[in-house]
Amino acid sequence: MLHWILWGTDMMERISRNTRIFFEGAFYSYKALFRWLNPATYLASKVLAPLTIMIFFVFIGAYASGSNNASFYVIGNSLIFAASSGIFGVTMSVGGERWTGTLPYLFGCPANRGAMFIGRAFMHILDGMLGVFIGLGWGILLFKLDLSQANPLALLLTILVTTFSTSGLGLLMGCLSLITRNVMLVNNTVYFALLIFSGANIPVEELPAWMQVIANGLPLTRGVACARTIIAGGSLTEIMPLLKEELLIGIILTILGYFLFKVFEIQAKKLGTLDIF
Amino acid sequence: MNQVQKNLRVMLLAFEVEMRQNLTDGFVIFGILIQPLLVALMALWMLKGKGPDYAIFVVVGSGMTGLWTTLLFNGGNSITGERWTGTLEPLVASPASLRMIIFGKVLANVAQSLGSMIGSYLLISTILGYPLTLARPALFAVSLLVTVFALVCFGLILASFFILIPDFARMVNTLEFPIYILCGFLFPIALLPGWTTPISYLLSPYWAAQALHGAAQGTLTTGQILADWGWMLAFSLSYILISGKLYQVILRKARVDATLDIVGN
Amino acid sequence: MDAIIVRNLRRVYKSSDGIIKRKVKEVVAVEDVSFEIHQGELFGLLGPNGAGKTTTVKMLTTLLIPSGGSATILDLDVVKDAGKVRPRIGFIFGGERGLYWRLSALDNLRYFASLYYVDTQVARKRIPELIELVGLQGREREKVEGYSRGMRQRLHIARALLHDPQVLFLDEPTMGLDPVGARELRTTVKNLQSANKTILLTTHYMFEADALCQRIAVINKGRIVALDTPERLKENVQDLSVVEVEVYGMPPDQIEKIKTLEWVVEVSLENRDQVQVLQVHTPKGAEAIPMLVENLNGLRLGRIITREPTLEDAYVRLVGGAK
Ligand SMILES: Nc1ncnc2c1ncn2[C@@H]1O[C@H](COP(=O)(O)OP(=O)(O)OP(=O)(O)O)[C@@H](O)[C@H]1O
Ligand SMILES: [Mg+2]
Repeated sequence: MLHWILWGTDMMERISRNTRIFFEGAFYSYKALFRWLNPATYLASKVLAPLTIMIFFVFIGAYASGSNNASFYVIGNSLIFAASSGIFGVTMSVGGERWTGTLPYLFGCPANRGAMFIGRAFMHILDGMLGVFIGLGWGILLFKLDLSQANPLALLLTILVTTFSTSGLGLLMGCLSLITRNVMLVNNTVYFALLIFSGANIPVEELPAWMQVIANGLPLTRGVACARTIIAGGSLTEIMPLLKEELLIGIILTILGYFLFKVFEIQAKKLGTLDIF
Repeated sequence: MNQVQKNLRVMLLAFEVEMRQNLTDGFVIFGILIQPLLVALMALWMLKGKGPDYAIFVVVGSGMTGLWTTLLFNGGNSITGERWTGTLEPLVASPASLRMIIFGKVLANVAQSLGSMIGSYLLISTILGYPLTLARPALFAVSLLVTVFALVCFGLILASFFILIPDFARMVNTLEFPIYILCGFLFPIALLPGWTTPISYLLSPYWAAQALHGAAQGTLTTGQILADWGWMLAFSLSYILISGKLYQVILRKARVDATLDIVGN
Repeated sequence: MDAIIVRNLRRVYKSSDGIIKRKVKEVVAVEDVSFEIHQGELFGLLGPNGAGKTTTVKMLTTLLIPSGGSATILDLDVVKDAGKVRPRIGFIFGGERGLYWRLSALDNLRYFASLYYVDTQVARKRIPELIELVGLQGREREKVEGYSRGMRQRLHIARALLHDPQVLFLDEPTMGLDPVGARELRTTVKNLQSANKTILLTTHYMFEADALCQRIAVINKGRIVALDTPERLKENVQDLSVVEVEVYGMPPDQIEKIKTLEWVVEVSLENRDQVQVLQVHTPKGAEAIPMLVENLNGLRLGRIITREPTLEDAYVRLVGGAK
């Protein structure tokens, strides 16, 4: 009996401790973001950068087909912005540790790695969702995007799941940032890979077979497809199977990222490469 | 050694050092080389409807996107990067001109990203089997040289902005695509609203893209291409002139604000 | 002749804080600092953390512009003639930053030789000599990222000497070196001085300053509190002796109490392994021991000794307080 009570209080303590670590992680990555970006520049890059990317693809599309198919690119690229927060934001908050030289302390501390890790991603999921809304907003304002057919709840769910799955990729990339000096270029490359493979700018069916295989293994692809279906008036049940797969991809990536983080931690401790950059 | 030789030696060594540092970082090469290949692939599929002749347009255009991205991320960061490693102080305290050092570093980055243009040429011609022929190879080669020079001069100014305007580094992501759009890398600027045209004319990458596309596809006369070179050279000269004063200003400011090193900030 | 003349030097840092509203905070790092260093002299700048040593050195090496006052090196103003000062000085800042970690020592030196316009032929001969001098021979082709802290520190020294400068600034050159390495470095510094170089050295180690420097300036909170030869600085405390008592678990308020005692001039407490060592400066000498023990009643005590004051004691008295 006593044993169980002790076990229970221990459990409670662990939960509350990990919750704290989680929110501290979220708070610090938020703070790091705003140390890096003051609110004005943050908004500018959040609002203006998406617009320029959208314009670029809408115009290539227009040049290619001679017709105006803006909605296709607007929806695709709006979801890409979720990936952008997921990848760049999360990488910065993990990689930032290395640049500030605090990584050895992070690895040295006894905090639960999982809570710490996911806490860091949390803010960027919110941030990523905001990015999608802004993208769609520009679409409505400038490119005659029509959301009147869309089921708002289903759209919101799609955006949430997609943002989650891309920040899973971000966690994975964040780990890479622990071993390279110039992670921004790597990130950019992954980002561009998503631009091609996710169907945001090229319909997946039009890609050669081997590229379709890659496309189907990546996060975002299914999210983009779901968003297009819903905005065209599709129902939640219609997209549910795809959405579940997207969620699964996100979970797998997060777990993978977590293990890579652990592996890197052990490796770094073994090889003593913690502060090499 | 006279002053010119000294400066040349500084520039060459800065070039070599930057090259070596990049080459020891597999990820940098990956970024510099692979990203433009991805853009090339994407543009190739997006512009598929235009027919196989467009392959060379895609190679040149995506190569330009790679040049610009490298210039922005790596070249622009030339000064800030040294600041992070703590090497900016010894550089500034040396008698060498920081401008020469940065010129060498930016040149190294731009030269490396030219490799990606060659890479996408090979990828698209040999692996994907598109016919790729340069309509006017000699003019194209010279255009490429002028382009490199013009972009490096632009990079010189860009690098100083990173120091001069604290928020600049935070805005680089915002600056990547506007240049893709305004300089006609992958679609003609005629598609854009008329009011943006004067802005394009002020950007040397625009003239570079025009000369390179024109020489590759044979759509411009020799005279037109010469005019593009003229614009690029004129811009480069003014950038070099401006950079003299600009570097004085930023170095003085950094010594007043104690921002040559990140420690303590 | 004076190689370095510093007049009323002052430096204020502004730093901003806060996220939404950035408050500007001012820190006066150096205030009204004046001294001169003779040609060929080895001059020490001593002071606790944050005293303003590095700030002073950075102003003299043209890396910071003073907020007030002036300084000349070999009659050249460090602000107006910065371009002429630079080829004539060499400097190192303690620590590991400021090198290209992805390059070898050799490449680092080659690069800086070109930046200092060292003639290619001269550099080819001098670089191996310097590598030998700092004891990196055999490892010079390895990347700096694989070096130990001390090796990096020594590479810094080689770099500073590439262009054979007349004036050297060494900011904590022995930081991170092992005792043998530090001793070798001190020999190197001595030799440089014999080669008639003017050297400004900062350090936290009293014995180092004592062994090397002709004159020492003690700086505290941005101001110079003493400037003299090591011997004369010691004379300041010659009338006193030091009683050292090993204590276990000394409460802070008890230190304060001892400080107020009439026969006590200065008190400091140092942590050594298991014990704390209480050092009391007093004119009473051995007579003070029973009085001190009385004031420490209830505490477990270890060895008690009295000794002559050292430069360190003079320093402790100048900058004050327990460390
Ligand atoms: N870049 C900076 N911005 C703001 N304050 C600074 C900066 N650099 C130094 N300071 C402040 O100026 C004061 C003097 O610092 P300085 O580095 O000169 O001390 P120091 O004597 O070299 O100390 P240490 O022995 O720790 O090296 C300190 O209070 C420090 O916090
Ligand atoms: Mg210091």
